[in-house]
Amino acid sequence: MFQLKRYLLSFVLVLLASPALAHSEAGVAIDFMGGFLHPIFGPDHVIAMVAVGLWGAFLGAPAIWLLPVVFPLAMAVAGAFGVLGVPLPGVEIGIAVSAIILGTMVAIAAKPPLWIAAVLVGAFAIFHGHAHGAELPVGADAVAFSMGFVVATGMLHVSGIAFGTLSHWPAGRVAVRAAGGVIALIGAAYLVRAL
Amino acid sequence: MNQILRTALVVCFVALTTPAWAHAWAHAWAHAPVMGIRGVFGGVLHALLIPEHGASLVALGLVLGRQQRPARRSGLMIFAAALACGLVATGLAIEATLASDVLLAATGILGLLIAAGWGPPVLGWPLAALAGLAFALDSAPETTSTDETIRMLIGSGLGAIVALALVAEGAVLLRSNGQPIVARVLGSWIAATVILVLALRIATRFATG
Repeated sequence: MFQLKRYLLSFVLVLLASPALAHSEAGVAIDFMGGFLHPIFGPDHVIAMVAVGLWGAFLGAPAIWLLPVVFPLAMAVAGAFGVLGVPLPGVEIGIAVSAIILGTMVAIAAKPPLWIAAVLVGAFAIFHGHAHGAELPVGADAVAFSMGFVVATGMLHVSGIAFGTLSHWPAGRVAVRAAGGVIALIGAAYLVRAL
Repeated sequence: MNQILRTALVVCFVALTTPAWAHAWAHAWAHAPVMGIRGVFGGVLHALLIPEHGASLVALGLVLGRQQRPARRSGLMIFAAALACGLVATGLAIEATLASDVLLAATGILGLLIAAGWGPPVLGWPLAALAGLAFALDSAPETTSTDETIRMLIGSGLGAIVALALVAEGAVLLRSNGQPIVARVLGSWIAATVILVLALRIATRFATG
């Protein structure tokens, strides 16, 4: 308990610390926050990333950590291609379909072999990564921006995992599956809009 | 069940605190070294507050933390030796323009090794040498006097070695407490960040000629 309080105290102190900005235009701060907020302000991305966490939690170990490890890596590689201007067709459709498929997997409590889940998540991460990469501002403070971007993506997965751990209880299992259904429906709405 | 909840708690804690640290990190490196802080302590801050440097120490520490004690100590010694060589070169004003990119590339490979849960000494040691050398060559302080430069380089070296040792021992604790997942997730985040950074740098260089 004491250790937990110490962690919480350090967390609060870091949040309260005033930034040592050297430039009034605050380029670095904008870049980190820009990267951090980038995935969060795209609802279509958010639902898919939360669905990855939900599905990972539903599948249990080792998927609970494997899927959130595969996603950012595949996303970053695709993001790099997006940054470099390599085209990828059907990105918006791919993003919408990712929400539909991942949400459906959670809703029907699908438990395919681990490698199929990993390939599926990795394939969908390509669309999300490419979309983000193509939007990244060239010339930005690359390190801060990318750090914020990846951390935010990881946190979305973690929020999905945290909610998904409810599936270990009967009522929680229903709630998680319902959340998957909602994600699939939202994905369908995005697909209709993309078509 | 307890294991799952404990893992979820640790992952949540890391996810909650990482943005806070990263936020602080991203703010404190507008100048290298930090303005107004010089000497050995300024060198220590220089080693720790530049994101590429911090990420490389975390990544290398996590890889070394997976190894047995003799291999881990050897990795630390190799890093320290390469770091010392690089710091001497930096002190002699040898410029290495690609040091930052090389350090990032080494960090990315280390991140991938962590994510894969695989870090044999035969890979960890050369990467430790590469990271140590690139780290030092990318640590040239912005000072006007030779004495100040030497003091800051000594601080950078000490800060890097102590930080690396702490992360490596912390990684051992993480592993022995049955939380290798945290390390693997961190590794994937480090590798993903490096991939994006390198892509952005390449695109920026193309855009600016």
